[in-house]
Amino acid sequence: MADHSIAGAAGIMATAAEGDRSRRARLVVVLLCVGLTIAVLLSLTSGASDASAIGVMHDWLFGALPGDAALSARDRLIIHDIRLPRIIMGVLIGASLAVSGAVMQGLFRNPLADPGLIGVSAGSSLGAVAVIVLGSTMLAPLTTALGTLALPLAAFCGGLATTLLLYQVATRQGQTSVATMLLAGIALAALAMALTGILIFMADDRQLRDLTFWQLGSLGGATWQKIGSVGPVIVLALAAMPFLARGLNALALGEATAGHLGIPVQRLKYTAIVGVSAAVGASVAVSGGIGFVGIVVPHLLRLLIGPDNRYLLPASALLGAALLLLADAVARTIVAPAELPIGIVTAVAGAPFFLWILLRKRGVIDL
Amino acid sequence: MIEARDVSVAIGGKRIVANVDFEARPGEIAAIVGPNGSGKTTFLRALSGDLGYSGEVTVNGRNLSAMKPIEAATLRAVLPQATTLSFPFTVREIVRLGLVGGRSGALPGEDQRLPAPALARVDLEGFAGRFYQELSGGEQQRVQLARVLCQVWEPVLDGKPRYLFLDEPVSSLDIKHQLIIMDIACDFARRGGGVVAILHDLNLTAMYADRIFVMHRGRLAATGSPQQVLSDELIEKVFDCRLKVGVLPAANMPFVLPQSVC
Repeated sequence: MADHSIAGAAGIMATAAEGDRSRRARLVVVLLCVGLTIAVLLSLTSGASDASAIGVMHDWLFGALPGDAALSARDRLIIHDIRLPRIIMGVLIGASLAVSGAVMQGLFRNPLADPGLIGVSAGSSLGAVAVIVLGSTMLAPLTTALGTLALPLAAFCGGLATTLLLYQVATRQGQTSVATMLLAGIALAALAMALTGILIFMADDRQLRDLTFWQLGSLGGATWQKIGSVGPVIVLALAAMPFLARGLNALALGEATAGHLGIPVQRLKYTAIVGVSAAVGASVAVSGGIGFVGIVVPHLLRLLIGPDNRYLLPASALLGAALLLLADAVARTIVAPAELPIGIVTAVAGAPFFLWILLRKRGVIDL
Repeated sequence: MIEARDVSVAIGGKRIVANVDFEARPGEIAAIVGPNGSGKTTFLRALSGDLGYSGEVTVNGRNLSAMKPIEAATLRAVLPQATTLSFPFTVREIVRLGLVGGRSGALPGEDQRLPAPALARVDLEGFAGRFYQELSGGEQQRVQLARVLCQVWEPVLDGKPRYLFLDEPVSSLDIKHQLIIMDIACDFARRGGGVVAILHDLNLTAMYADRIFVMHRGRLAATGSPQQVLSDELIEKVFDCRLKVGVLPAANMPFVLPQSVC
């Protein structure tokens, strides 16, 4: 009798696990934590200089290694002031872009929504370029009042305005039309880029050089000071996103149904839009336009662990961070001693991937 | 009990529903019928809390307009006509979403326990691992039914009055699936739940409804049992076409036969 009930319970457990990908998802999240740690350590030890990261870390933690001659002041400078801020910045931005992509896709109920693709990044860029070019003239009061916060704040406002506008245009009675979303995104991006173009036209030579490099996307300018100004924004936005996960899951069934399930849909939408605009704005402010992270990372993860946002969001943060570190490693080393803008690396890898998604889904995606 | 008194709904300045009185009792199926554009769906959306309205709606004695979404979600579940998905959820993951709002009084681990019996109830055992998007229309609708049952079934078994709103639940389904879905709704009512269903098929309505509300041009044209409501005169007038109503003597059940003018 006892045997029978145990067998029965095991049978029920087996059925209960079917179609439930949460165990696999948790495993993937753990593996991604390990992967990201390895990526961070590799980035710390690799680069144009052969500075010994192990020596430096040992130095921080326990004092200098006995008889360690290699650990020079130069090594310390490279590791602490160049590589480390760059890695932290890469982790923050990779996580922020990937999670923003996943949240936008949940919000628009569409796997093709991406901050870069639908003009949010372009809006952020416009805000940032305005501060860079006009910061010492027309917008001088703003920059003096806000200091280093002016740039991320302007990028945030640009991104927020674009997202709100896009949502208004593309959503009718709770239904988001994909065709309208993509087309409106293209139009808004074009408009933002045109306005950015006017600003660039007004820029002087020094600003111009900064802008060009910045527009292509780069982690090269990462400093502790920049981390201090945008880091908290990104961390806050990322910390808020997991609270949206259940609501975004319900939203997959449609806005009305999400409401019937007890989700406060309006609040969810506005939190998501503000969160994404903050994360993308802050990222764009320091690193320029780094595209395709937000679309590639969540898509790969959905194939692996399914679309449950409770796991998709943290997993996206981890994979986004790791992939951006990898892309940065490629950007730093492929044309060494020069450096490729990281936005070029992500676009070269991401654009074909995007086409592949379209080809795979042809006939399924309802434009 | 759900009680609506003098409910009117206007959308964009246009009055779609006017002065409707309605009630749905635990243990009964209340059917709303009427031609296209008569305001059935708009009225149900107001009852679901999706639309603003004038008048008063109470659910188990509590005012609907004062409820938060999560409070309403503990009292009623809504099955839409059809649900399309943009992400590859499994059947189990969809059914589990019935508990996403955290059903009040739900025990921890219920999202592990409840999907399997809910799927069994809609005759979809063994479907838990399948992808929703790969199922037929009838199977998808049954998965959604399992999801809404997750939301309200257990409290009903505990004797708490809960409600199921069905918006044309069988419109796109074959006759077998129409009966499957309506039998489950009927079972829910027999166990003490209340069902509010918008139906187009008058014969299904006659077979399943305890009480019929006939809507016409935004107003209530008639209300009562199938025997009271389904008459040649009223139905021809409301639907504006030629119909004959007969009665199956054994069950004293009315049936409706459309008449062609061809």
